[in-house]
Formats: sequence, structure tokens, C-alpha cells
Amino acid sequence: MARKIENVVVLGANGAMGSGSGAVFAAAGIRTVFLARTRDKAEAGRARAEQMVKSTAISRFIEVGSYDQMEQAVAGADLVFEAVAEDLAVKREVFARVDAARKPDAIVATVSSGLSIAAMCGGQSESFQKHFLGIHFFNPPNVIVGCELIAHAGTDAAVLAFVRELLAGPLGREVVETTDTPAFAGNRVGFKVLNEVAQLAEEHGVAFMDALIGPHTGRAMSPLATVDFVGWDVHQAIVDNLYANTSDEAHAAFALPAYMQKLITAGHLGNKTKTKGGFFRTDGKGKETVKLALDARTGDYRPLAELSRPLPVFVDQMKAAIRVGRYRVAMDAMCDAAGAEADLLRQVVLGYVSYGLARVGSVVARPRDVDRIMGFGFNWAPPSVLADAIGARRLIGLLDRAALLVPRVVIEAAEKNLQLFDEPEVDRGRYFVAA
Amino acid sequence: MTAPVYILGGFQTDFARNWTKEGKHIAAMIRESVEGALAITDVAPREIDVGHVGNFAAELYAMQGHLGAFLVDVDPAFSGLPTGRHEAACASGSIALLAASAEIEAGRYDCALVVGVEQMKTVSPAIGGDYLGTAAWYELEAKGVEFPFPKLFGKLGDEYDRRFGLDDRHLARISAVNYANAKNNPRAQTRTWYMNEAHACETSSYNPLIGGRIKVSDCSQVTDGAVAVIVASARFAEAYAARRGRPLDTLARIQGWGHRTAPLTFDAKVAESKDQPYVLPHTRRAITDAYARAGIADCWALDGIETHDCFTTSEYMAIDHFGLTAPGQSWKAIEDGVIDAGGKLPINPSGGLIGAGHPVGATGVRQLLDASLQVTDQAGGYQVKNARRFATLNIGGSGTTSVVFVVGA
Repeated sequence: MARKIENVVVLGANGAMGSGSGAVFAAAGIRTVFLARTRDKAEAGRARAEQMVKSTAISRFIEVGSYDQMEQAVAGADLVFEAVAEDLAVKREVFARVDAARKPDAIVATVSSGLSIAAMCGGQSESFQKHFLGIHFFNPPNVIVGCELIAHAGTDAAVLAFVRELLAGPLGREVVETTDTPAFAGNRVGFKVLNEVAQLAEEHGVAFMDALIGPHTGRAMSPLATVDFVGWDVHQAIVDNLYANTSDEAHAAFALPAYMQKLITAGHLGNKTKTKGGFFRTDGKGKETVKLALDARTGDYRPLAELSRPLPVFVDQMKAAIRVGRYRVAMDAMCDAAGAEADLLRQVVLGYVSYGLARVGSVVARPRDVDRIMGFGFNWAPPSVLADAIGARRLIGLLDRAALLVPRVVIEAAEKNLQLFDEPEVDRGRYFVAA
Repeated sequence: MTAPVYILGGFQTDFARNWTKEGKHIAAMIRESVEGALAITDVAPREIDVGHVGNFAAELYAMQGHLGAFLVDVDPAFSGLPTGRHEAACASGSIALLAASAEIEAGRYDCALVVGVEQMKTVSPAIGGDYLGTAAWYELEAKGVEFPFPKLFGKLGDEYDRRFGLDDRHLARISAVNYANAKNNPRAQTRTWYMNEAHACETSSYNPLIGGRIKVSDCSQVTDGAVAVIVASARFAEAYAARRGRPLDTLARIQGWGHRTAPLTFDAKVAESKDQPYVLPHTRRAITDAYARAGIADCWALDGIETHDCFTTSEYMAIDHFGLTAPGQSWKAIEDGVIDAGGKLPINPSGGLIGAGHPVGATGVRQLLDASLQVTDQAGGYQVKNARRFATLNIGGSGTTSVVFVVGA
């Protein structure tokens, strides 16, 4: 019998990921039950889904309830989508209840952003394990179409293939399959860069590092502002997991800086703790507003204007070239610049290209997968876009000079004179930002 | 047509982009579209004889005039290239195409580059709405009016209602079809948006009325976009097809065109057409002129239409003006699914201005590019099966300047 998804249950539908993911299913016209600890919380999740898609019409497909109705709802579900707290023990407890109530062929998915898929379903029934996988949406899921699909060793191949079609078809996702490795592909490659910049900020300053690795290096939001946006607690959970459970060439880059640990303990979690702040903080109101930046060495916050120091000239050259659409010229400026600041920028940006493309073979199958998740998930210039704009041959020389790993796919591209970026429908130019 | 004009191909930027957020000058939009068109067609910059740019209001949106000169900036081989810029409100792109094709027909040049471009997200919606008001008779129809154009096209709906009756559910259906089509177009602005007939039918804080009977879901988008196409004479196209190893007749060709201008104010248009069968007779004439020049009898010789749905009412008007139904009977084609993606005569498989987006000066060029992709079986996810002939209708103002192309292969 052909498998169909007509009823979805979202667990943890009050949170940002739960309600956003629920909106993705309901928007496709699939009956979706939003469950949370209380019915009111689930109702709030439904309201949030309406806000996200800017329509009340979506609620025709949404029902709400509390966990008291979990067994009943799960019994009728073709797909159970778990978005409860990012805590292995909590998730396993929820999965035990789901396992007892689910239909034998019901698919169970977790939105976890990096916990082991195998560990989450270990101990549940064989049927549960066969039907279990990770669907990692990015926040907000209705806007960011990139998503990761993660099977564990015991996931049924037909289930995986079916979910892949569901995501890419009716749910309109750009799907990247990754192995069941810590933080999967996007967060592993992305948080390597974010944490490396946080480490470097101790010596070079928060304001300076964030500006040096700014939008002109291929991202909509600068790195430390991104960590503030994500939340320092979430950042810590991801890099701690990677530091503990990976051992690749970038291992040291996953060590959370001691100054961040100290501030997290003191309650500095980024934008969600407005009065304490993160790397940045805004004090005062109206005309009195002052933007402050963290002095990572002392833990004090000082006016951004005081802390900022001028960026090197080659950064202005990059921005000027990007502004008029001359992206290769911008890359020339980046590659040819001399001096310690240029070396620092290249360490991070070329380090990203290197680390991303070197995950091909272990975390993902093709360069295209890393490119998709960084481009469609993080809204960063995909590593291949940068590699192509730099040129594979020149890139190899620069990576050698910076003592960075030269990925095999870059060597192949240089040898065969190939372009690496393989998305004909995507404008490369959108990833070069002159802000 | 005296001498044939071929469409070698072209490039459309992703209409979902916000070039202001990217920190880009309009020069970057022109550059990306031209570099894209040259790469896709494999035409060398030195082969381009002349350049035309269609743009509505860069002076307002981007504080930049003289856009033709920006072509020269794209490649050293363009130094000295004759260029110009054309403006006819939302029909600017088609006017640029008419100029380029007229020069080819006249034998002045063999290969022309035509760019349509508009950068609109530089200002707030209210200010942008005011700028768009200059496509109407500003002092009479737009000055001090919040969002003048939805109101003018709301009046078009009212005029249909008065003459023939109009059910707003048919307008909602037009909106839903365009949004649904856009989901198949990887360069459409709204491809990831939530939209369907139920939403288009509801009036709520998420879908408020903004001009008479016009709701947000009835409107096309504020869009940043650039489109470049390369058009050529038979002589150039023959050599081009030969070097690509393809028969000449696999290239798209402009088979016919129509171009008419009505009185500028909406009230003058309606007064003029009072006792005539068509609400916008000059638009109807642009269509029948194009049919006559293409040597076709009616719309049933077409496999699809890319029309100017700046609002659902303008597509409602286009349906009977193209002749899919008798005047005032557009609702029949909507109810019968004629205009759907798989219908008898699909309208806006790209998603149109509502779904794909409406970068004002680029729209006419985008329509011609989409028509040429359709008739050469290159439209990918939104390809109309076995399409051999398409028409476009591009409108400036409240039905003021109408330009129609019939494109075939």
C-alpha cells in the first residue's frame, strides 16, 4: 500500500521550532495536531503559526491539545514530529510514550539540531527505530527552506526515501542528507566559523572581528551578531557537543572561549537577555540609545564607537566591488591583500571553505550538500561559490600558505578546470553582501 | 513583420532578492543580468551591436538616471556601444524591446542586448506607492493618495461590475492560480510564500482591503529584479544556430507585436469606452494588432499567455480582451480552468506579476524571456507541454500603454 501523510502530530508545538515546523506541514494542507504541555501553550503555538505565514487560513488544518491527548493523537498519526527540549533524556521519555501509542507504520522524526539520532531511538521498539529519522529545519522554517535529513543505521531505506520526497515535494524544502554525526552538516560547519571568530575576538576585539568577518565575506549577518541572535546557551550546547564528539582538523576551533563560559554563567545569553546582552547590547531608549560591545578581556561593555578601529583598506575595496556586482574583483582584493589583518580574514573565510568542503565523504556525499545547507540554511555564501570566485588553483595556493587542509574536491576542480557550485537556479551574486 | 527578429535567450535574476539589503547599486543588477544572458546564450560581448535598457523610475528609487550607460560598464568590449534607456511606466521593458526589434527590422544592427531593470526595495511601501503614482496622471490621480494604483485597478473591477457583474471570488481564484504557478518557478519572488484560494478569499488583518475591492492578495509584488535578453536578425541568428549545431527554427522568434496608448487618466479611458464592447479598447487593439501581424486568427492559436496581472482585475480584463471569452465573461474561463497551468490556454505559468514578482521596468522583458523559454521547451518546472506559440501583454499605468508580443518557434 502506498504510504501517505494525512495526519501529523507535532510535540512541543509551543516552541519556535515546533510551531514553525507545524506551520510547514499545515501550509501543505496536511491535518496537523499541535500538542504542548498545556492546551493554552499549544494554542499559542497555533497563533504563532498564523503570524508566521500571515494568514488565518492555515488554521483550517491545525488542531490543538495537551500532552494528555498524546496517546490518542499519536495513534491516528502518519507522522509524529518531535520538537521538545533539546535534551536526550527528555526526548527519550517522550519517544517511549510515542512508541507505545503509534501505528506500526507511523514515521517518527526529531527536529534536533545535533543530538545523535541513533542514541535518541535506542531502546525503543525495532519498528520505531526503523521509522525514526531526523528532520532538521532551520528557524524560522517557513522562511528558511534548507533542511537536513538524517537517517541512523537502523532507518528503513524506504522510509528515508519517502520522507525525502515529502520534504522536497509538497513541503517545498531544499533537502540535504547528512550522516548521523554530531551537529550534522550545517551547524558543524557554521559553528566552527562562529566559535573561531569568538575565540579570535578575545585577542582582536569583538567589534573588530565581527566587522572584519562581516557581510562582505559572504553572509547576511555578521558572525558574533549571529551568536547573539542564536543565543549563547544554544551556541554552547552545539560547540560543546562538537568538541566532545568530533576529532577532526578543526577540533580546537570548537573549544568554547573561557570568557564566554564565564558570561554564560552570569546570565549573558545574547539577544534573549536584553539587559545583560551578549557580544553586543543596546542601552537606553530613543535618542539616548547607545550600542555597546563586549570587551572580551575584561567582560565590560563599552560604546561600540569607542571600541571600533578602522578596517583595513582592502575591506573597503571588497565592499566597493561587491556593491557594483564585481564579485571576482572583491575576491581578488581579499586574496591579494598583505598584512596580518588580511591573513586573519583569510584564516577564517578560507578556513570555512576548507572545512566545509573537507566534510564531503564523511558528513555529506557531495559538495552540493554542504553548499545547499550553508546557502539555504545559514544564508552564507556556499563554500563552492567562494571557491569558484577565487578560482580552484589560486585557492589551493592560499590554503597551503595558511596551513589549511586542501579538500580533495578542490584539487579535482583545479585539475579538471571545473566549477564546483552546482545550482544553476541560484544567483551566486546574492551571497556577496556590501553592508 | 518585414524582417524576422529572433530571441537567442536571456537571464532573469532571482526576483526574491532584496538588492538593498545586499548593499547593491542598480549597476550590480544590470551587470548580473547581462553577464547571465551572455553566459547562457554563449554570445560574446563583442558580438553585441546595441543596447537598450527599460526602466521606470531609477531616478526616484535609486537616485540614478542614464541607465543605458551602465551597460558599457559591464564589459570592456562594450566601450563605445550605442545605448539608450526607455520609459513607459510598467511597460518600459516592452518599449525597450520594441526599440531593439525595430532597429533589427530596419537593418541597422544585427544583435541587440535588452535589459529591463527596477530596484524598488530602496524605500518604504508608502513612498514606493507614491513613486508608482507617477505612472498615473500624478496631480489628478495620485498626489496625496495612499497607494493610488490599487485604487485605480479597484475601479477597473468596479467598471466590470457595473457593466457585466463581477464576483470577487473569481479574482481570488486568479490570485491563487498565479501563486500556485509561482511555486514551480525557481526565480519567482513568492515561491516559498503561504498563499491559496482560502487565504485570497478571506479579508483579515493579514489580507486587508487596500484600495476599493482590492485586497493585498489581489496585488502584484514590490520586487527588485533585472532581466536581460539578446535579440538578433535572421542573418545573425542563422550563423548563431549553425555554430550551436541547431536548426534556425528551434530559436524563438517575435512573430507579431501590438502597441497602443490610451488616455492617461482612468476616468478618461472609461468615458471613452462607454458604449464599446471592451472596457479597455486600446488594449484590445494592441492584442488584435499583434494577432494580425503574427497571422493568427485568435487566442486559440496560442499555447499560453504571460499577461500583466499587476492586480487580479487586470488579469480579469486580459482574459476577455485576449478573446478567451466574450467581453465581460472572463469568469467562465476562470471557472472552467482554462487559465490553469494544465488548462486549455494557461495564463502566467511563471506566476505572473502576482506570483513571480513585478520589478516594474523589467516585467516586459521577463514576459518575453518566459515566452521564448516556453516555445523552446526550456521553461523547466513551469513548462507548458508542447508550447509553440505564446503571447505577452505588458501594461503601463492604469491600462494606458499596452504592448503585446506574439512569440513562436
